[in-house]
Amino acid sequence: MKILVVDDFSTMRRIVRNLLVELGFSNPLIQEADDGNNALTMLRSTPFDMVVTDWNMPNMTGIELLQAIRAEPKLKGLPVLMVTAENNREQIIAAAQAGVNGYIVKPFTAVTLKEKLDKIFERLAASGASA
Amino acid sequence: MNAMTSTTMNETLPAEVLALLNSSDGAAFEQALDAMVRQREQHLFRALGVLARDLHGAVSRLGSDLANEGVPESMTDARNYLAEVLDMSSKAAHRSLDFVDRMRPEADVLSANAAAVLDHNNNPNDPAAALARQAQVFADACAEGLNDMVLVQSWQDLAGQRVKKVVAFIESVESSLLELVRLTGALAGREAPVEVAKVSSQDEVDRLLSEFGF
Repeated sequence: MKILVVDDFSTMRRIVRNLLVELGFSNPLIQEADDGNNALTMLRSTPFDMVVTDWNMPNMTGIELLQAIRAEPKLKGLPVLMVTAENNREQIIAAAQAGVNGYIVKPFTAVTLKEKLDKIFERLAASGASA
Repeated sequence: MNAMTSTTMNETLPAEVLALLNSSDGAAFEQALDAMVRQREQHLFRALGVLARDLHGAVSRLGSDLANEGVPESMTDARNYLAEVLDMSSKAAHRSLDFVDRMRPEADVLSANAAAVLDHNNNPNDPAAALARQAQVFADACAEGLNDMVLVQSWQDLAGQRVKKVVAFIESVESSLLELVRLTGALAGREAPVEVAKVSSQDEVDRLLSEFGF
């Protein structure tokens, strides 16, 4: 599974990558982008299976990236997991309305990440089966 | 206007204004009124300018006080120090993650080797088997500890985001201050300087303030 990890902090990208590998995802298939703009360019040029993104980033924030993904016919079905320090009600609602697939508040544990990922895949499988 | 109001007003108005009001020269009346309003505005804008100047002076003094005590002497320095904090904490986090990357395979190998030994020899009375069991427990505890260590490094990102917010705040205080000075200067009838986007140095701040005589 090809995953794009988007965060302006290199530490966080490395941690998320580390956790994904720990959960059994293939390290070489994980790629990184440091803001929404670069992420969008990568998503347009190469097919990915999932995006794990931060909220607060320069140039293009995570929510703007999510909205851009949902607005593009080729990308709109892509699962997006938000991993962010933003935990106020309005922002969580905004992410939900923009069509986020999962929302994790930092700092989080590997168990939380696994739970949210499992839930995303379960839902996708269910919607795929019913479609 | 009814008669009662005009009587009340007439009683409280200064003689010059009353004279103007009673004068038949409409143009002179308008001019006098304009002059009065402009004078009031200028007083207000000068006062605002002085306030901005005082605030700037207070901030500068605070900066030099800090410098005497060996801490950042200006906002620019403060921003640079915060950028260094960000950089150092990021380096420290990466060093910890490097360590995890190095040690995790070692822990995995130790655990696997211990398991292989126990497959052949699981005799509770054999010291070699006891050692292998101990090694396996240790290796597994290490792997778990290393995972925790990775997660703990995410605090660098959270702390870094706070630092970035403070840097943005300092920048906004600087540019709001300058914008206020520019605005009050322009309104007080002096020529406005070319657009001030962002303050880059203390000299620039001082130069701009002096353009308005503050």
